[in-house]
Amino acid sequence: MADTNHAFLKRLLATFMTEAQEHLDALFSGVAELEKASDEVTQAKIVETIFREAHSLKGAARSVKLTQIEAACQSLESTFAAMKSKQLPLTATLFVTLHQEIRRLGDQIAALQTEPKPVVARTAMPADTPITAQPEADALPSPSATVVATSRNLPEEKSPQIGTVRVASEKLDAVFLQAEELLSAKLLSEQRLRDLSEIQAQVASRSKSWTNIRTRHPDFYSATASQPQWLEHLEQNTVFLKDLTYQLDAMEKSARQDQRLLGKMVDDLLEGMKHILMLPFSTLMEILPRLVSDLASDSGKEIDLEIHGAELEADRRILEEFKAPLIHLLRNCVDHGIEKPEQRRLRDKPARGNIDITIAPRSGNRVEIKISDDGVGIDIAKLKATAERLGLLDQDTASRLDEHAALALMYQSGISTSPIITEVSGRGLGLAIVREKADKLGGDVRVETRPGAGTTFRIVLPLTLTTYRGIIVRLDDQLFVLPITNVEQSIRVHEDVVQTVENRPTIRLEQATLSMVWLGDLLGVPCRQKAETGLYQVVVLTATGMRIAFVVDEVLGEQEVLVKSLGRQLSRVRNVAAATILGSGKAVPILNVTDLMKSAQLAPAGKARLTTAADTEKTGEESSVLVVEDSITARSLIKGILELAGYRVSTAVDGIDGWTQLRSKKFDLVVSDVDMPRMNGFELTKKIRGDKQQADLPVVLVTALESREDREHGIEVGANAYIVKRSFEQSNLLEVVRRLI
Amino acid sequence: MKNPDVISSRKTADAAVTTASGLPEHWPDILKARAHELAQESAAEALTERIEVVTFTLAYETYAIETVHVREVYPLKDLTPLPCTPAFVAGIVNVRGQIVSVIDIKQFFDLPANGLTDLNKVIILSDGDLVFGILADTIVDVRHIPLQTIQPSLPTLTGIREDYLKGVTKERLVILDAAKLLADARIVVHEDVE
Repeated sequence: MADTNHAFLKRLLATFMTEAQEHLDALFSGVAELEKASDEVTQAKIVETIFREAHSLKGAARSVKLTQIEAACQSLESTFAAMKSKQLPLTATLFVTLHQEIRRLGDQIAALQTEPKPVVARTAMPADTPITAQPEADALPSPSATVVATSRNLPEEKSPQIGTVRVASEKLDAVFLQAEELLSAKLLSEQRLRDLSEIQAQVASRSKSWTNIRTRHPDFYSATASQPQWLEHLEQNTVFLKDLTYQLDAMEKSARQDQRLLGKMVDDLLEGMKHILMLPFSTLMEILPRLVSDLASDSGKEIDLEIHGAELEADRRILEEFKAPLIHLLRNCVDHGIEKPEQRRLRDKPARGNIDITIAPRSGNRVEIKISDDGVGIDIAKLKATAERLGLLDQDTASRLDEHAALALMYQSGISTSPIITEVSGRGLGLAIVREKADKLGGDVRVETRPGAGTTFRIVLPLTLTTYRGIIVRLDDQLFVLPITNVEQSIRVHEDVVQTVENRPTIRLEQATLSMVWLGDLLGVPCRQKAETGLYQVVVLTATGMRIAFVVDEVLGEQEVLVKSLGRQLSRVRNVAAATILGSGKAVPILNVTDLMKSAQLAPAGKARLTTAADTEKTGEESSVLVVEDSITARSLIKGILELAGYRVSTAVDGIDGWTQLRSKKFDLVVSDVDMPRMNGFELTKKIRGDKQQADLPVVLVTALESREDREHGIEVGANAYIVKRSFEQSNLLEVVRRLI
Repeated sequence: MKNPDVISSRKTADAAVTTASGLPEHWPDILKARAHELAQESAAEALTERIEVVTFTLAYETYAIETVHVREVYPLKDLTPLPCTPAFVAGIVNVRGQIVSVIDIKQFFDLPANGLTDLNKVIILSDGDLVFGILADTIVDVRHIPLQTIQPSLPTLTGIREDYLKGVTKERLVILDAAKLLADARIVVHEDVE
């Protein structure tokens, strides 16, 4: 019982904490606003708001029996009441006291979380503030009798807006995730439609050739005419095929309609969900006045924060993602942008520094967040000098850099600990993070600076998360998704265009030289050195201000993808951001382009690549081997071994698949498992031996069956070699294969 | 795997019923006797606490893992290898729309590669928080093992570090400790490019 009671109180307390934080933030921003407000009407309005906030917080504290907090709120409330009745003049000292009081209240509330002591305590204790609390629920106690009249009939809680509901964000997120899952239903139905169209085409072509048989082989019909029942069979077949074609056409048509309808419904639903998830920027900005005021008082600075356009709405996930970078930027503005009051006076600036955040809509469903300060600005000359000293660029280049390019150095050095940044202004701290986040969200960051006069950051973000699209590329037999936002273009370049600069291959593209990196090398996936035509398939990726040309085997196309987490066990994987599931049901990794850029810079020079490309070509004709094996791991292992030894390898998942491939392509040897679904290795071998064209094809059986009977059975059906899996080794497979080809 | 005592007591009861069938007047006694025996049976069972395990083969060895940590067994159809991961990460699979990472415990335990294995199954482990699959060649069965018959293993016996072993049965069946595997920080991949 005690346990359940305790759990209940804990839950209650958690609810209170959330609510209290909202009120606290509102109090902070309210007081900050009030400090700036000049006309009486605005002041009165703000006082009214913060008065209500304090009152609501008091009510909440009372409901969980937190007497101390209740008393503190009471004291605040009384002060606000006095301000409301104009008994208390709005002086600078008052604001200092108010900030302190609210901060102390915040600390008290925060302390609740760290020491979860029972909340029911000291109910009878008198409040440790000068104001006497009165137990009546409704009447508002006041420091003096004069304010009573103004503070009557306050509703206990904020009156809810008509037609709005409060829903826990976790619940909304869960529904949104489910809605997003519908995207896979859409992709699946596209895949099914493609499959159906393929069958339709096959049947149609078969039906056509069957109909033509009459004209192509006139004898056939005349010969069968003598046997009426044969003729009947043939006629029936013709009718059946025609009917089937007709039915398939109708089915394909309705499937296409269904697919379109489903697609539209899913898109509409997702779009609607996105709008449900929109919140005003003010939810993000509420914490800022307090943050800035805390930071400023810590560093002995006086700073005003102005926020404009906070009523604009954006996707909650974008706001959340952008919270950390925004705080980073503000921290930098306070720490390194705004000078101390005495320095400012020397420069003929007002002693109080100013930080302005303006949020304004931009075309194309985007928003610009402008953060400007009137501080020292960034010393570009010094930035260049430090970059030179660190060997990031030479003097010649440095002198030619314009302001924009020089400022880009701030991100280029990338890592936040980079001394170049901390030394100049500290602004590099986290700038890379800001850029990375903006990149990730499909946005952009820009810096403008006027030395001595201030710095402005302009961040452009989308308002809603656009549906994630990616291009699918192939390396060897593996597929990968590259996010479309990072893909600049996909082109084929001829090998003659590739030039080596400092041991690294490069290509020229629209007046720019780009490094060329083999994606397979970065990922450790074997990829084709070069297409026979001497052309490289290249995808130009951009991220964190860099452009690099990545070589892949093939670009398969562009499509919508549903981003799925790799799970907690794969908490962070180098170069891989997430995964997605294609219409075929296959899981495919989504690559992390920011990581790829870093990896590309760290990778050793790629010259070796070009020479090996030429070397492998000399080996000329490789023999081709078909590996038939149902176990995917064994299949890839055998394939890997054979490929390393220079064979061209195709794979099949069982006997039927193997047999189909054997009939469509010429192979020099078959390596097959025995125990497989549909058609086993013995049956496959028998089929091969029984076929006129394939009869001489060498067959190696690799099997878990090790009894003498099985071995004999293998030889009986005509296998050339029999390798037992238990004693399987790379060398014995290769030796056997070499002997047989 | 039944307790021999239990089997014999059942036989007695069955025998009692057979002989009694011709003598309906004795039914109440017989039923009472039978109920008595059954009651003893459950008491005997309560004494021996059992765990339920899935036994599977991997590289010609048989292992067992407690079913409480097994979410499901899934056929390994399409494993997507994941680049830039440690060798023990075999790849990822799509399990009804969820991405599940798959681990090769042979690699994780640094066991010697023993021939070519027929990895056809994924045993998906979960503790509600972490979810991942481990590769297996075949699933043998699901059985109950009395706790008292499990003895702590000698690490030299299996080559698997003691930390991950729950114990070994009389039949030398190695029982892996799924809870430890799931709680092990070493199994979580967290690598930055640097």
